[in-house]
Amino acid sequence: MSPLDRTLAPPPAALREFDFPTPRTSALSNGIPLDVIRLPRLPVATAHLVLPAGEDRLLGDRAGLAILSGDALEAGTARRSGADLAEALEELGADVDVHTGWSSTTVSLSCLSDRLQAGMHLLAEMVREPGFDPDEVERARQQQLARIRQQTMDPGSVASLRAQHEIYADGEPYGRGALGTEDAVAGWSLDAVREWSREAYQADGAALVVAGDVDPVAVHAGAEAIFGDWAGHDARADAPAGAARPGGNRIVVVDLPKAVQAEIRIAHVGVARDHAEHAALQVGSSILGGTFSSRLNLNLREKNGFTYGVRARFSTRRGPGPFMIATAVDNENAAAAIREAFHEVRRLLADGPDEDEVAATRDYLAGIFPLRLESTAQVASRVAETRIFGLPADEWSGYRDRIRAVTVDAALAALRSAIRPDELVVVVSGAAEALRPDLEALGLGPVEVVDRT
Amino acid sequence: MSDARLDFELHRRRLPNGLDVVVAPDPALPIVGVNLWYGVGSKDERPGKTGFAHLFEHMMFQGSAHVPKNGHFDHVERAGGSLNATTSFDRTNYFETLPSNRLDLALWLESDRMGFMLPAMTQEKLDNQRDVVKNEKRQRYDNQPYGDWIERMLGLVWPADHPYAHTVIGSMEDIDGATLEDVSDFFRTYYVPNNATITVAGDVDVEQAFARVEHWFGEIPRGADVPPVPGTTEVSLPMEAAVRDDVVEDVPLPRVFVGLRIPPVTAPDAPAVDLVSQALGSGRASRLYRNLVRSGKVRDAFSYAFPLTVGGSMLLLGATGFPEQDPGEIERLLTEQMDGLDDLGRAELDRALSLEEARLAQSLEHVGTRADRISMNARIFDRPERVTEELEELRAVSLDDARAAAERYVATPARAVLTWRPEEAS
Repeated sequence: MSPLDRTLAPPPAALREFDFPTPRTSALSNGIPLDVIRLPRLPVATAHLVLPAGEDRLLGDRAGLAILSGDALEAGTARRSGADLAEALEELGADVDVHTGWSSTTVSLSCLSDRLQAGMHLLAEMVREPGFDPDEVERARQQQLARIRQQTMDPGSVASLRAQHEIYADGEPYGRGALGTEDAVAGWSLDAVREWSREAYQADGAALVVAGDVDPVAVHAGAEAIFGDWAGHDARADAPAGAARPGGNRIVVVDLPKAVQAEIRIAHVGVARDHAEHAALQVGSSILGGTFSSRLNLNLREKNGFTYGVRARFSTRRGPGPFMIATAVDNENAAAAIREAFHEVRRLLADGPDEDEVAATRDYLAGIFPLRLESTAQVASRVAETRIFGLPADEWSGYRDRIRAVTVDAALAALRSAIRPDELVVVVSGAAEALRPDLEALGLGPVEVVDRT
Repeated sequence: MSDARLDFELHRRRLPNGLDVVVAPDPALPIVGVNLWYGVGSKDERPGKTGFAHLFEHMMFQGSAHVPKNGHFDHVERAGGSLNATTSFDRTNYFETLPSNRLDLALWLESDRMGFMLPAMTQEKLDNQRDVVKNEKRQRYDNQPYGDWIERMLGLVWPADHPYAHTVIGSMEDIDGATLEDVSDFFRTYYVPNNATITVAGDVDVEQAFARVEHWFGEIPRGADVPPVPGTTEVSLPMEAAVRDDVVEDVPLPRVFVGLRIPPVTAPDAPAVDLVSQALGSGRASRLYRNLVRSGKVRDAFSYAFPLTVGGSMLLLGATGFPEQDPGEIERLLTEQMDGLDDLGRAELDRALSLEEARLAQSLEHVGTRADRISMNARIFDRPERVTEELEELRAVSLDDARAAAERYVATPARAVLTWRPEEAS
């Protein structure tokens, strides 16, 4: 056998310090803020154009329109068909991707750094002169409808969407799915897409982030040449208030009669991303359900074997997004899993985390932070978040220090201020007939069974 | 094409037990990628033992003397990292990406299964993983439309006793027949330090990284020399004659694959073939996309040059048609494109180069991919530094080289054609 002691996993060595690269920030002549992060390691670059065009400003029959309009940007410009646009990008070896979420639309360009300026020209053309060819928009719309239908077939999505609906007051955008409803999407016209793009794709409210092997001065001059003459009205809108549907604990079962597993969500309205105690809350919620060694995972997975995994997290949104615990278990373990989850939440809020637990979680979060900063695209995304969520300029350069300064008391205080066990709503998607007796026996408030909509 | 140049610091040493060690320091971020590349794949499997390399990869996650079953996943996930392994024709790779203060964890895990795996092997674990692999085969191959395409295509392109004539997943019968002794033999033969390259890339001190690798792996004894690849490895390039397999089955759409024998990835003309393949069928500006897909003649089409090493490699082209389309027409459209490359232009090659330049540079941003590509270049080319020089090989391909490669290896009638015609609904 080995003369080395191999019986125990080697412990972590000391974390190495590192500094998140400081963006060089300037403003174009029309006011568009530009953050440039120089990463000279490889000859690549990423540019993000952030637009205040998130789904969180759309209600009713416009729900989902931001995602559709964003997707349709890839389908051509006023001067170039979708095919010609794709070809022009490929000649540069460039890739443009449009991502629309609750809080923004981000158009991102990735390419070799010496192609950045040429790529930015195409990116600008896409946003400033969208083609919105009727056939292409129709194709994007059909794809969105297909995605919505697909969600209604997926028990996990069914449970998450229903949980959002249950916890937000009527009229809150966060109470619906980001993709919109089948009815809304089916009713859109091309005019609605054009109108939305004029409303939200404007210089006033936009932000530019460039990361890569670039010269900040040259990037500024290049961006000024491309975007400096872009004028327009202020496109910004307030974040949703995130008003909660009032009430105490209750259970809603979305009946999927053939389901062999129960998807469980335990949720209430959480906090906005710019919450002052973000670091402490992140440590606290990681201890509850953010890591493999979290309280919830150790109980539901390791001790009881109910599930492959369980997570608890606060959503990252401009307004108060959901706080949600999510897991999937066999039907016969559903009630026990819910009971144990509530037990862990209440226990953590009552007694607080242990000193060791907080120390390990601080190191874990500080240690994994750079794992998601490998590429220029990942770095640009982080910096873009400071624009989207209105975060301080030192959000990332100070992130590790803030995480490592979190004490047991700070984590507990943050958890107590943001989690209200008596207001948690339980949503289960699964076979109602099999689940109902156990769920009623839990004594967690009324049990309501609803059909999948 | 771009003027971009890639450059990394690389150091390579060999331990006394034969382990090939490459260290690629990069202090940009406090993270580290560890990649262990074993020179064993399905090419090394003997008749009646197909699927062993892949089955074995599964067994490597079932614990070793000091690491419990699934301990790899638990430990690395607890540390916030990621890990996995894959098996291919020529190699099996195991990899982790972690915060750099956890380098020892990855080395402990990998060295324990290289040095101390057999004591933890049990019949129960083997039976269990045999079932897992058989389920994987059912799910990914048997239960999928066109699922046996690779098996059929390999059988057409390669002689029956060539190492590439059978699939990586192997046959159910062979997997069923695997005994504990087979697994032990396989381990002792191939999972030896002298048949492996380990790359450590990222935030490490060079001397310390070599020292830690030596600390964990140094005591593992050298194994016997690895036996030569079994079967007939010399084949003619391109193939000797045309072969085909026309399948009528319950598939959703008509589909055609064309397979060609091309030079091994280490051959001097491999970069030219690769570039031709990309100009022909990679991306939306490629010939297949422009001439066939965008014009509505077929639903989709692609071309891909495998990076194989033993005697030759394979170029694969494919196209899927519309519901009522005759597979013969799809074949004609596809082969017209393959035969019409004599007017290939510099602009097309440059476009293919642009795409490849960006893809390669972006993939190297991640220490995990970088470590994997370094291991590959060390193992296959014996030149880890080729990780950054690969682009130069593609850039050096002249238009004449490309046209010559296209004429010789792509426009040849000696090809394997595999067609699917949807069964008439009864």
